[in-house]
Amino acid sequence: MTVTAKPPSTQDRPAEHGGARDSLLTKVLVRQETTLVLVMIAIGVFATARSALFLSESNLTSILRSSVIYFVMACGAALLVIGGGLDFSAGAVFTLGALSTCKLLVEGVPWPLAVPAGLAVCCAVGAVNFAVVTYLHVPPIIATLGTFYMLTGIDNLVTDGADVLPLPAGFQRVAQGSVLGVSNDVLIAVAVGVLFWFLLERTRFGVNVRALGGNRQAAVGNGLRVFRLDLALYVIAAATAALAGVVYSAQVGAGQVTAGGTSTTLNAVTAVLIGGVSLMGGMGSVQGVAVGAVLLSLIDNALVLTGIPPQYNSIVIGAILVSAVAVDHLRRARIYRKR
Amino acid sequence: MPAPALRLRGVRKWFGSVSALEDVHFDAHAGEVHAIVGDNGAGKSTTIKIVAGVHRADEGEVLVNGEEIGHVRSAADAQERGIAVVYQDLALVECLDIAHNMALGNLPRRFGIVLDRRRMEREAARVLKDLKVRVGDVRTAAGLLSGGQRQVVAVARAVRMDKPIMLLDEPTAALGVQETAHVGGIIDELRATGKAVVIVSHDLDFVFSHADRVTVLRLGRTVGTRRVDEVGREEVVGMITGAVPPDAPHHDEVA
Repeated sequence: MTVTAKPPSTQDRPAEHGGARDSLLTKVLVRQETTLVLVMIAIGVFATARSALFLSESNLTSILRSSVIYFVMACGAALLVIGGGLDFSAGAVFTLGALSTCKLLVEGVPWPLAVPAGLAVCCAVGAVNFAVVTYLHVPPIIATLGTFYMLTGIDNLVTDGADVLPLPAGFQRVAQGSVLGVSNDVLIAVAVGVLFWFLLERTRFGVNVRALGGNRQAAVGNGLRVFRLDLALYVIAAATAALAGVVYSAQVGAGQVTAGGTSTTLNAVTAVLIGGVSLMGGMGSVQGVAVGAVLLSLIDNALVLTGIPPQYNSIVIGAILVSAVAVDHLRRARIYRKR
Repeated sequence: MPAPALRLRGVRKWFGSVSALEDVHFDAHAGEVHAIVGDNGAGKSTTIKIVAGVHRADEGEVLVNGEEIGHVRSAADAQERGIAVVYQDLALVECLDIAHNMALGNLPRRFGIVLDRRRMEREAARVLKDLKVRVGDVRTAAGLLSGGQRQVVAVARAVRMDKPIMLLDEPTAALGVQETAHVGGIIDELRATGKAVVIVSHDLDFVFSHADRVTVLRLGRTVGTRRVDEVGREEVVGMITGAVPPDAPHHDEVA
């Protein structure tokens, strides 16, 4: 006997799962990235009309370079959110990564050793976040917010609020140098992006992360080692936050205690959410996060160039965030409508 | 007779101060379908989850081919010991497609690291075709499937694992008449290939059509085990409701 239940109709298929009968146009149009690119073009047209500088090569490079920091942080944060977690400690981990690396650098430790050491300190923080969430059963948002506050205090205690410098020129070249005309920090972001895309889309780990965030009970039932995955995700999120902090230090030539903080945390989370990563877990892409990060930096830049007061920045970002998540919800509701 | 493929002895389980299982024991043999029936709260699903490694028994033994598997701490451990499970809640990930869901926990790889998507999709399509299941493209997200389709995909996934012991928790709960018969056919084929199939079911018609033995649980205890061809429906119903008294302790196994 054969089960002949009706297969889902073409328009029911989610494009991100490659429904065989979807046209390429449909696949492109239903993606969150497409909406964001259209928003970016609209902002670009508006900014170009108000300022001739906007489309200059140096300005576009500047937008790209400032999005590097958001993007690197957001890659780890996105993976964690796709896996069903959340990290609000990112801004303080960013600072801790920067400060611990810079402290070692000013002590004379060469950067190829100082950077991994700084990242390792922050990976330990990620492991603590995991332990508090998993073994003390504190919800992720509260556990990582607690970590954020504690680390912010520690960051200030360690430095007495003063910047850590001077940093060796070799280290500064890590972000400020360039290869074939492309600045190193952008290359770092591309490398991180490719690595995370590969992890998420082409490995068993990536599928397991989606399964964990999409349906934790199912992940357990299917024999996934969920605690190991959780640990890996919190450690990776901390590592990318720290790496972003290190790259930022190399960009500005100092370990700044004021560099991270609340706004950095919120920017990372915002890039993730604008980029179409679902807070419900399971869904999202590195491409989306990349577009989200560039959009944040584009808005910053366009508002400054067009002479719009900076207060409007937050209003615009807030409106785009809410719109992006609402549009995402509507699209998912259409795709996954209840039967 | 060889050691049973799966044997439970005196299994007890508490959730906090609530006793879920008081004394569960049964033997399931290779090449047989063993049904576990009982009223709501009898402990059927808890029993399945203990064998599957989702819960740990507080007391008692779970033996596979005569060997205690006391160290099963997760579903992964259970799979390594040759146990595949279809859960009542189906355990499908809605945002992943059928092919990913069917391979979850055992995703094929190339070069030791890259997900072998083609092989995964080919295997999923082959298993579904072998089982005569039509759910459209294997790239369809599980969230788009109807209840019946999800159920057959979940059964197909367990079949794909090809383990000697298969546990199916309410495999026909969401199915219509035709789909129920289809799943029954799959279970019959599994028995024919020598697997020990344990099914938990409310559906006595299904049990009497497909099972070889039936164990009745009541209030967390094994009331008794009978061969299906030697027991009447009234007796089984009486064991479920308590009208028929439990067998003497550990005297329930049918030779």
